[in-house]
Order: sequence, then C-alpha cells, then structure tokens
Amino acid sequence: MSQQPPPIEEQIEQARSPLSEAWEMFRRNHAAVAALVVLGLIVIGAIIGPFLYPTDPFEMVWAPFSPPGAEGFLLGTDYLGRDLMAMIINGARVSLIIGLAAAVVSIFIGVTIGALAGFYRGILEEILMRITEFFQVLPTLLFSMVIVALFGASLPMITLAIGIVSWTAVARITRAEFLRIRELEYVMASRASGVQNMKLMFRVILPNALPPIIVQSALMVGSAILFEAGLSFLGLTDPNVVSWGQIIGSNRQYILDASYTVTIPGLAIFVTVLAISLVGDGLNDALNPKLRSR
Amino acid sequence: MTTPLLKVENLRIELTTRDGVAPVIDDLSFELGQNENISFVGESGCGKSMTALAIMGLLPEKIGRIASGSILFDGEDLTKASPARLRAIRGNEISMIFQEPMTSLNPVYTVGEQIAEVIREHQGLGRKAAWDMAADLLDAVRIPNARGRVSDYPFQMSGGQRQRVMIAMALACQPKILIADEPTTALDVTVQAQIFDLLRDLRKDTGTSIIMITHDMGAVAEMAERMIVMYAGRGAEIGPVEQIIEHARHPYTKGLTSCVPHIVSQLTEDRARLTEVPGIVPGLKDFGKNMCLFASRCNHRTEECLSARPPMKPFENGQIAACWHAEDV
Amino acid sequence: MADTPNTPLLTVDKLGVRFAVKRGGGWGKRAFLYAVDDVSFTVNRGETLAIVGESGSGKTTAALAVARLTAAYTGSVKLDGQELLGLEGEELRQARNKVQFIFQDPYSSLNPRQRAEDIVREPLVSLTDKSGAEQQQIIDRLFAEVGLRPEQKRLFPHQFSGGQRQRIGIARALATQPQLIICDEPVSALDVAVQAQILNLLRDLQSELGLTYLFISHDLGVVQHMCDSIAVMYMGRIVEHTDRLSLFNNPLHPYTKALLSAVPSVDKKRRAETKRILIPGDPPDPVNLPPGCRFANRCPAATDVCRQSEPPLTDHGGYHRVACHLVNDSKTAAI
Repeated sequence: MSQQPPPIEEQIEQARSPLSEAWEMFRRNHAAVAALVVLGLIVIGAIIGPFLYPTDPFEMVWAPFSPPGAEGFLLGTDYLGRDLMAMIINGARVSLIIGLAAAVVSIFIGVTIGALAGFYRGILEEILMRITEFFQVLPTLLFSMVIVALFGASLPMITLAIGIVSWTAVARITRAEFLRIRELEYVMASRASGVQNMKLMFRVILPNALPPIIVQSALMVGSAILFEAGLSFLGLTDPNVVSWGQIIGSNRQYILDASYTVTIPGLAIFVTVLAISLVGDGLNDALNPKLRSR
Repeated sequence: MTTPLLKVENLRIELTTRDGVAPVIDDLSFELGQNENISFVGESGCGKSMTALAIMGLLPEKIGRIASGSILFDGEDLTKASPARLRAIRGNEISMIFQEPMTSLNPVYTVGEQIAEVIREHQGLGRKAAWDMAADLLDAVRIPNARGRVSDYPFQMSGGQRQRVMIAMALACQPKILIADEPTTALDVTVQAQIFDLLRDLRKDTGTSIIMITHDMGAVAEMAERMIVMYAGRGAEIGPVEQIIEHARHPYTKGLTSCVPHIVSQLTEDRARLTEVPGIVPGLKDFGKNMCLFASRCNHRTEECLSARPPMKPFENGQIAACWHAEDV
Repeated sequence: MADTPNTPLLTVDKLGVRFAVKRGGGWGKRAFLYAVDDVSFTVNRGETLAIVGESGSGKTTAALAVARLTAAYTGSVKLDGQELLGLEGEELRQARNKVQFIFQDPYSSLNPRQRAEDIVREPLVSLTDKSGAEQQQIIDRLFAEVGLRPEQKRLFPHQFSGGQRQRIGIARALATQPQLIICDEPVSALDVAVQAQILNLLRDLQSELGLTYLFISHDLGVVQHMCDSIAVMYMGRIVEHTDRLSLFNNPLHPYTKALLSAVPSVDKKRRAETKRILIPGDPPDPVNLPPGCRFANRCPAATDVCRQSEPPLTDHGGYHRVACHLVNDSKTAAI
C-alpha cells in the first residue's frame, strides 16, 4: 500500500525530577501530610514565637501554680511562678535544635562508617562493624549520662552524647544499602567510565542509598528529642536554657498538685515526636521505589 | 472436533489501577481441545499470564475481576464456581507451572515433602503412599536417581531439575490441563530442550492438554498445534501454528516472527536487516479504547484503524485475525 | 578509526580468572573456581566476535576481565598492542577510554538518580579533558546517533522504556570513541519486538563508525545475526572457535552440535533436518573438575581418552579451532 499512514500524536514525557514524584507519593499519605502541617506549625512557632510572645521564660511573672487560663496566662505558671507558655515556646527551640543536631551528628558518623565498610569490604569492614557492635551493646542512657557527667551538661555536649549513642542503626542501614548497590550494573558502568572511588561512593552510590537513611533520620530526630527529655528529667541538662524535658524534670515533684505543669510539656513532646514519626512514615512511602507504580 | 475441553467465550477481565479500571483482557474467545497444545504469544504486558490466572481462578484479589464472559471447563462455568470448587479444580484438574523455578519452591521443605503434600491434599493418600508416589513422579520427569533425590532440598538442585520438580508437582494429580507460563525462559537452551522433550512425552503418555505461554516463536513452532497472538489484552490472531508462521494475517504477528533473527537450515553470508516493530506496548490506560491498539506501531495504519476496533476476521484455513487490513497483510 | 581492517585489535592470550570459594563449613579449605581457564582469542578491527555459552560458562567473566572490571590472575590482554592487565592509576584510566561496556539489564545499568544526558556525560568527565561545551556537543550528537530525541536528554531513566534505556547505555559506551565495545547480552532483557531495534542499531553503528564488538550472548539466533566469528565456551574454556558460517553450517564439537540442535526454530526445513541431540545430566562441579574433557560426562561420543586427558584447542584447518579428541572420529561426526 502506497498510502501514507496517518500520523499519531506522540506523547512526550515531561522531565520530572524524582523529587517531584516523591512529593506526589507523599501527598497520598494523608496522615503524613497532616503531620507535616503540624510539624511546620511547631517549627514556625519555635522560630517566631519568642518575638510574638516576648515574656522571659526565666522571669517570675505571677504566683506559682496558677492554673491555665488564670490571669491571662494561657498555660498558667509553674512552681516558681514562671510563665509556662513562654517556657514551652522557648523550649521548643531547644528541643528541636537538639533533635536535629543530634540526628546530624549520628548520620554523619553512621553514614561515614557504613559507607566505608560497605564499599571497601574486607578487613576494614570487619573492624568497622565490630566497633559498631561495641557501641550497639552499650546501655545508651547510661553511656550518655557518663559523657554528660564527665564533660559537663552544656547543650553541645548533650547533643554530642545523644549523637554518639545513636549512630549505629544508621551505620548498619548504610552498609547494607552499599553492599546491595555496589553490585548493580550502573556502579560497574561508572567504574568502566573511570569514576574515582570517592566519587563512586558519595556521588553514585550514596544518593541511591539515601531513602532508608532519610527515613531513619526523621525517626532519629524524634528519638533524640525523647532522649534529651530523659536526660533533663534526670537533671542532666544545661540550667541556662529551657527545654521541654527540663520543664517536666523540674516540676516533677508537684505532679500531684499541679499536674498541668508536667502534662503540658509532655503533650508537646508527644505531639512533636508523633508528627515526626508520621512524616518519617510518609517519607518511607515516598522514597521507597517498590511502592511506586512502574 | 468433539466438544472442547476448555472453552473461553468473550472473556473480559478488569484490573483496578491508580488511573481507573482497565480491561487487561478484552473480549477474548478461544477453545482448547482434548490432548491439544495451544500457545499464547506476545510481548510482556499483553495479558498472556492474566488469561492463565483467570482460568486458574487466581486473579489478584480485590484488584482483578472477571467482568463478563465465561470459562467453560468440561461444561462447567468456572467464572461462576465457588472458591471451594475452584480450589478443588486447581491442582487436581488444571495445574500450572511458572517461569521462575528458583522461587516457586519452598526452600525449607524437601522436594519430596512438597510433592507429597500436593498428593495428600488432593488425593487423600497416606503419608507413605504419597511419598512413594512423589519418588515415582520424580522418576517420571527424568530426575536421575529419583529415590535418592526425593529428600533433597530445592537449593541442592539445578534450575532445570527444579523446573522438573515443578512439573512433577503439577502432574501429581494427572490434570486434564497443564498451564505452563514461560516454563523455560529462565533456563539454558540445552535444558529447555530437555524440558520440551519431557512435556512432549508426558502429553503423549497422559493425554494432558497444554497451554503454553511464551514469547519465542521457535518454541511455539516446536511445541504447539495452534497459537493465539495477544496484543494489549486482545486476541490479535488465532490459528494453526504452521499456517500463521507461513503467512501471518496480522501485522503484529508478522512483526513478532520476523523481528527475531532465526537459525535457518543453511546459513549464508546474506544477512537481511531485521524488521523493526517501532514503539512499545501501550500503557494500561489505553486498553479498551475503540480502535486498533496496535495502530501506533503499524505501517499498515489507516484512518479506519484509529476510529474503530477491528473485528475478528475468519479465513478459510482456520486463521482468524483482528485487523482491518488482514487480507492485505 | 579502524584504518586497517582485518588486523587484530584485541588479542587475549591464556586468560585465567578464578574465584576463591569456601568449601566444607567454617574450617573448610580454600578452593578455587576457575571461571575462565586458558582462554585465547583475537578480535579483528571492525569485526564482531561472539562468545556464546550457557550459564556458568564464564563468558561474561571473560568479558569483564578484558574490560578490567574483574581481576585476571594470569594471561594477557593486548588492545592495539598495549597490555591492559597490570595497568594502574592514570594509565588504566587512559586505557578505559578505549574499551567500553554495554550491559545486559537496561534497568539496573543506569543510575536512577542521573538524568539521561548526565549518564552519557559521565565517561566524558572522568576520562577526557573536554570542555563543557564540547561535552554537550558530543552528547547531542550521540543522542541523535542512537535514535533518542533531544528533548529526552533531561529525563530520568525510569521515564524511558527498556529499549530506550538500552539506547542510553549504548550512547554512554560510545561517548569516548572507544576502539572496542563489549556487549554483554545487550538484548536478552528486552521484549522480542524491541530486540530488533537495538540489534539493527548496533549493526548500523558498526558500519558507520567502524566499531569492533566483543559480543557476549546465550542466544544463538542473535549471535548468528550479529557476528563474524564465534567462540563457544563451556565450563570456563573455549571448545570451538571459528567463523560464522563454519560454526553454524559445520559445527565440529559435540557440545556445539548439541547446543545448535537445542535451539527451537521457526524454519520448517531446519526442524525437519535437525536431529535433536539431548545431552543428559548437568555440568560437573566447577570447583572439583574431573580430569579430562569437561564435557565428557554428558558427551554422547565420549571415550576413555576423553575422561583422562583434557583436549587442547587445536586448529583443524581454516582457523576452525576445536577442543575435542574425537574431531576426526567417525563416531563424533555421526552425532
């Protein structure tokens, strides 16, 4: 037949980045989206709250144990007559910063050790994994208490202590991902293209290993906040700053007389950690290629 | 021909996806005779395996369903059968072997235990009798030293041997129909030859009908009497194998046959360029459109192809092709 | 490139690759699996040598060793006169320019986090000193050459079909204008209808650019279409090596005969002519190889000699090399 076939409109796929696709998947998880909104509000509150509500959290402003709502103090006052609202707002900053910073510390240690072990294998892997196991079997709370007790209860030291006891999970995940990905053909292809080891590790393999690491990090921010609360509760805290755990710790004797001084910061921790967990769950959906269609 | 063993009529299977409901099998009809070997051919994503799963009553739960049509097996409509009845038929009268012999056996049980389990389930034999029968079956599928190998674990066997164990398991209850879904795709050619040989002999001995799913025209030519070429959930061409290979009436069939370099009886220096079938199988969202779904890849395409689905045109020699231009192909 | 055809570009001599395996529990002795054993062949400029074999034959390992992607313990690999084994550092990087690889699985051979153009750019960045503009020019040309549209440059691998992904892999392999391209089962992961597109492309590129291919495959139909000469491997060794027509029309080794007879064919005439030679059983344990010919336990013609001494690969006239004691034996000729 000489007739020219009628043309077919060709569909050209749009160049979409994996990021926009991940967002697409994230949006399907409604709980995660709601949690992200809550978390966003908490973060914004922590950043601009102190300017909108400039009461000094250390200043005695009213009679101790004024219940929430009394005399214009939305959340009441604590045993020293300090404004609980101001403490929660300022504490949010500290708690979130400690959570984030501790997560960064542990990701840095964990990814480095996991990547080296998974990439180079052999004797280096043996040594690094034995070190990881050593840290894994240490009782974490006791070990961090020892660090804080020895080097002083300053914010950086507390952050470092939390980071040092919680990097092992990241190291194991990173190593497992490296072991899997280093055998894939595109890594072989990059090697055939003459890509150097350092670049191979951090530019080729690591980006592909990130999804489970990111999810783990999100959960770690939550657990670091809890950890800090635990340390503060035991009094191992920087007395010059307010954190949610510290509010609970200092008010714990009055739990029966003025339970709101403990439950309100407790609720703040609960909501924040839950939101972070749900966001982590959503990230898991968004970044796990197995759940993605096609 | 006497009444067919299996008769599928106007079968439509719908799959629920993110983008809506798509007919993964759209108005498919065919018959399978007693002791016949019929092959399904086509690229992946054309609905070959889905047809097999529908016959087995194993469509993915909640996602897939038979929307209309019937599957008559020995006069009984399987689309209306209860789950219990389907379970009784499955394995007993219709069994299936899969593509991947590495993952379709349970690694923690010996092959003997796994075969004996099927026998006890369906035939109610005792432990000892079932075990003996398992050994006999392994012998029947030509595993050397079957008595000794019956207590082997799957990992102790090679890929070809595992596929034989799968066949032994499928044959345990002397099914009337054996569905083989790409049974040799994961195997080496010399092993494939052994498996084909085995299937041919079993068919001769037991009279089992075989439905074979494959993408290899050579395998079809060697094994089957009739074939069904599937494209995008629809039957593109149905007919006797020799005739279709000789003179395909559907451009897709023609493409499938000539796009693969074959070994012929006497090779020459002359190497013709391979026929290309441009493009790829359409996505599920295009299934079910009222047009020829192959049109975008076809060089016989006219306006007609884009405006209406072509009917199944029968030819005198028994070939049936769904193409507006079947006479010209 | 390829100014003098029919001269060897790649000469592989007595190549050996082995892997250490643990045998017999925790305290087991270390044993070696000889994946590639005493393999020698040459590939001429502008031609295609196919290495065929079934799983475990060592064909892919041999190819990886040639490309320096796995380590050989003995032998020599000369490309254009230069010895590749033993090169280190900068010299190895220079040599990688000349040998590129097309991988089997177009789904795992492209980094999912890189855009198509960056995948093709990678060897240019790592192996050449080309400026950004020059790189972009080369990428644009390569995209056109392998049949991809310019607007697809910014897409990510998962937005392509299998055939298109393999085109990206081919473009990447061509980027540094290598002298030798190793194709490791380049179409076996693709749908049948798409295979033709890639095979035609590979042949077109060969005639346009004068490329030399080392083509690894288990599919004898594809090999028949693509190659000028063929080496058949079994259990790490070459058992037969000759030009295309001799191998397909006049195979001499019993294994080659069995292999060819096992391929199902649509050609009625061929089906009528070929007697299927079934080779029973499985290959021997590669770690505990029996003495003698590795094919002896499955060979329909095997004699005591075969079970005692390993047959060398010898030329039986017109560069038809066969490793079999019984080539001229009437018994072998009969199967």
